[in-house]
Amino acid sequence: MNWNFTAGNFSLRLPLTEQDGDALYELMSAQSRVDHLPRLAMSVEAQALDELRRVAMRFETREAAFWLVEGLFDKQLVARVGIYKINWMQLSAQLQWELADAVDLPLMLEVIPPLLNFAFDELNLHRLEMRLRAGSQRHEALLQGLGFTFEGVLPAQLEYEDQSVDLAVWSYLSSDRC
Amino acid sequence: MNFTPELPFAGGRVRPLHYDDVDALFAIYQQPEIPGQRVLDNKDNLTRMVDLSVQMAATQRGMMWLLEVGTDGHYEVQGMVSAYDWQPSQLRTMLRVDGLPALSLQQRAAALKVCMDFMATKYHLRNFGYQWIAGQDDALKGMLEEAGFSLAATLRDGWRTGESSFADVLQYHLLRGEHKPVPGRLGEQDNPGQNLAKSFNSGQNNGGGEA
Repeated sequence: MNWNFTAGNFSLRLPLTEQDGDALYELMSAQSRVDHLPRLAMSVEAQALDELRRVAMRFETREAAFWLVEGLFDKQLVARVGIYKINWMQLSAQLQWELADAVDLPLMLEVIPPLLNFAFDELNLHRLEMRLRAGSQRHEALLQGLGFTFEGVLPAQLEYEDQSVDLAVWSYLSSDRC
Repeated sequence: MNFTPELPFAGGRVRPLHYDDVDALFAIYQQPEIPGQRVLDNKDNLTRMVDLSVQMAATQRGMMWLLEVGTDGHYEVQGMVSAYDWQPSQLRTMLRVDGLPALSLQQRAAALKVCMDFMATKYHLRNFGYQWIAGQDDALKGMLEEAGFSLAATLRDGWRTGESSFADVLQYHLLRGEHKPVPGRLGEQDNPGQNLAKSFNSGQNNGGGEA
């Protein structure tokens, strides 16, 4: 199975630990890009290397897969998108993304549908869900524009910076495709 | 070492699993109440399940109790209470009851409450979740709401019932009002760990902070 593919004017490829650390650090060192997860932004470059190694291990066990989204021509990293907590019994997984500031709905409409098709057709999954900090307006607007369905808010799912964080749940089913 | 306590409630008790409970567990799994759950066809896995119940409790990943109905000295196994997806750092866990048809809603609620009280007191858990799967007894939803749970989300096709069939999952949560723990140096709060003889809440310095 080929895990790398193109989506419109973008390529989605699995990261390489040896070469993608700098670009990933650049993407994930701004707090605004990871607030919706929520997690702390990277503050030293070694964290990007560590993240790539962890992701590689999770991919080896087919527990997760993360892709770097790059322009086909300029090779600029615009996002990282991943599925994790892949449950092969339930045919479900959770979706996560970190987006560069310029990413908007038209770009996501190029990238995400092919990713969903890959998850449903190649991996045979049935349900993808995203859990993100409730009130993450930019991301929830993108999810809505992409056709995801809001399912509710799970209270107090994370203890983060002395706060209990509620997570909104959005989902997309294989049967949601037209 | 014992990591799972016996806890009494009005009309019964919950207690840890033992190897000689395998027949009772097998009887419970002959009448699965979750849609799509297969009837168990051999008992070998249940011995392993008893081992796992100890390991999970010791490592704070889950806890399993046998649910018995009756009075002192005369108890009858009617089900199980399980805590799973226990996230100690996030102060939450999910709960599940597997009951025989004779187990009443009141007994389920009482068993759930005594287990939640224990985990809240002993391990600071404040958030208890319960998933009702479409196809289960509708009355369970009312029992959960009466016990203080609120519907938080409906996970579409969140549970697989067959090769290509799925059921919606209604996820309920109950948030407790206990104070969150505050950080302290080792020994400062007489941290009880898994020692059932100790508790954060039994002494004057209980380590709790403002909620």
